[in-house]
Amino acid sequence: MTAPDRPPAAQEVAPLVYDELRRLAAAYMRRERPGQTLQATALVHEAYLRLASAGTPWHDKRHFVGIAARAMRQILVERARARGAQKRWAGLDRVTLTDALAAAASEALTRLARVDAELARLVELRYFAGLSIEEAAEALGISPATVKRRWALARAWLFRELSESPA
Amino acid sequence: MTPDRRQRVAELFEAALDRDAESAAQWIAREAADDPAVRDEALSLLASHSRAGAFLERPIAESAPDLLADDEPLAAGTTIGAYTIVREIGRGGMGHVYLASDARLGRSVALKALAPHLVCDPTHRERLRREARAAASLSHPGICTVFALEEVEGALYIATEFVDGRTLRDEIDAGPRPSVGEIVRTARETAAALAAAHARGIVHRDLKPENVMRARDGSLKILDFGLARLAPPDDLSRAAALTFATDPGLVVGTPAYMAPEQINGGEVDARADVFAMGVLLYEFACGIHPFGGSSPLAIVARVLDSDAPPIESRRVEIPDGLAAVIARCLQKAPADRFRSAAEIVEALRAADRAAAPARHSAWWRTHQIAITVIYLAAAILSWQMKEWVETPVTVAIFLALGVAATIGGVLRGHLVFTERMNRAWLAVERRRTTRLLTALDVAMAALLAGDAAWIAPVRALPAVFALSAAAGLALATFVLEPATTAAAFGEDL
Repeated sequence: MTAPDRPPAAQEVAPLVYDELRRLAAAYMRRERPGQTLQATALVHEAYLRLASAGTPWHDKRHFVGIAARAMRQILVERARARGAQKRWAGLDRVTLTDALAAAASEALTRLARVDAELARLVELRYFAGLSIEEAAEALGISPATVKRRWALARAWLFRELSESPA
Repeated sequence: MTPDRRQRVAELFEAALDRDAESAAQWIAREAADDPAVRDEALSLLASHSRAGAFLERPIAESAPDLLADDEPLAAGTTIGAYTIVREIGRGGMGHVYLASDARLGRSVALKALAPHLVCDPTHRERLRREARAAASLSHPGICTVFALEEVEGALYIATEFVDGRTLRDEIDAGPRPSVGEIVRTARETAAALAAAHARGIVHRDLKPENVMRARDGSLKILDFGLARLAPPDDLSRAAALTFATDPGLVVGTPAYMAPEQINGGEVDARADVFAMGVLLYEFACGIHPFGGSSPLAIVARVLDSDAPPIESRRVEIPDGLAAVIARCLQKAPADRFRSAAEIVEALRAADRAAAPARHSAWWRTHQIAITVIYLAAAILSWQMKEWVETPVTVAIFLALGVAATIGGVLRGHLVFTERMNRAWLAVERRRTTRLLTALDVAMAALLAGDAAWIAPVRALPAVFALSAAAGLALATFVLEPATTAAAFGEDL
């Protein structure tokens, strides 16, 4: 896929976008459990609606995957926050802890993006969009071995950021 | 830090990944010896890397699949098998909880709808049935009874007794802080119910203020017994293991109330409930989580490696016995805690027995001090009588009374001191002095009476006063002292 002269709005390429989103959703379905397919499809739908209504221009597939991963991150973190708001954290259960982690990781990720934008993109692809090492390597145009190293660096950075956040 | 130096940090870190932890640190220290800031940053990241475990390794949607699930509650009037939904009364990680009416028996039940992602796997469904059966076998007034596990159109529902009341969480949030009496009663009732389950080998695993309900009649009931294990095995590890454990073992429970071994995915037994019970009582008493922090992750980190501030530092009026029970529940190592809730019940009872005399020993102390004052008054009185009628007899009585009052006063003062400062020795000291004190009291009463008889012909009124003082002293010795002593020290007279 080459970059068009005029970046098309998402609506104009809806079928293409949708196919690409489906491929992204496969990342979720890989370790599929019954009842989960529906949820992955729901996420794809929501991400598509968001991209379409935002009319975000995109240049090529790699760029698109990045934008879609960003949309998924937003959707998931919004949901986690909304659910967290319904409960007090003192009464948190397993699910709430993951929600809190998602929200905290997203905030830390915003800080990471200021330091190293590429590293932050990698986290979006791996943690929020659920891409494997190989898929992330393809999306970023770097080798899987490099992704592995960069991923280790990103996790170490975020882990330090979260475990040092004031108690 | 400039982009160049940041780039150097990243290169050092990534290159160090191929080495083992120890030589990697040495290598970085050598490579970046010229730039301490770069060296420290790379070393710090490397340290985080070795602690990060499985952090972020599982994509978020996989660790929280129900983030995407449709979460609308059932409407009132919906029928589920024989049940009719009345209203939603709660929701949690397991699904929605409704108040429903059971048409067959015409009673109200709490109907817990298990979230679909919890029940999709057949082996897991079987396990659910087993757990529900075990929970249903529990019958105790302090435990919410499980009636049935219902399967309606592929969805699973657990019907339990409906308890109308407030959870301890509601009480904690509403304030004000409960009285010591309420704390002790809550501890005793919760421990007794938990002990009944432990005696049958059933561990709650998810004890927390949300799961303890105070019914309208004031009785306490523990909810959701054994249901913590209903989460499917591959979901068990997700929250805590995701964050902290390298090996995602079996982790169930609510992170803020989980024992350290539970967070680490280790074997869990009744002692994990004992830990949760300690956290619950602490929070109920003080309104603050013992390992409180600004975020859930901070709490979990503190459960793992910091000690809770002693409860008596937050509420001074907590009795020592109860504070010691809570402190023992909160021990990090399971072996240092009570082995089961039955031991908590026993420890609370013992603490009660030890605390009871402390409430009443004030009377005993007052008595000792009052008698000492009377000793002094008797000595002064006999001096005055010697002044009025100076004969060898009155002088001798005055001297004898003075000696007896001094000895008696010193001994009683010594007993009061021992009771306050060195209670363990009190029984010994009392055995050593009781007879002597009784003898002294009798002797003083007799001396006063003799003195009174001697001066009666000359000074009638003071004689009557001295005589009644003698009678009073005798009464105090033979009637009052045994009473105050029994109230203070129980049977061990």
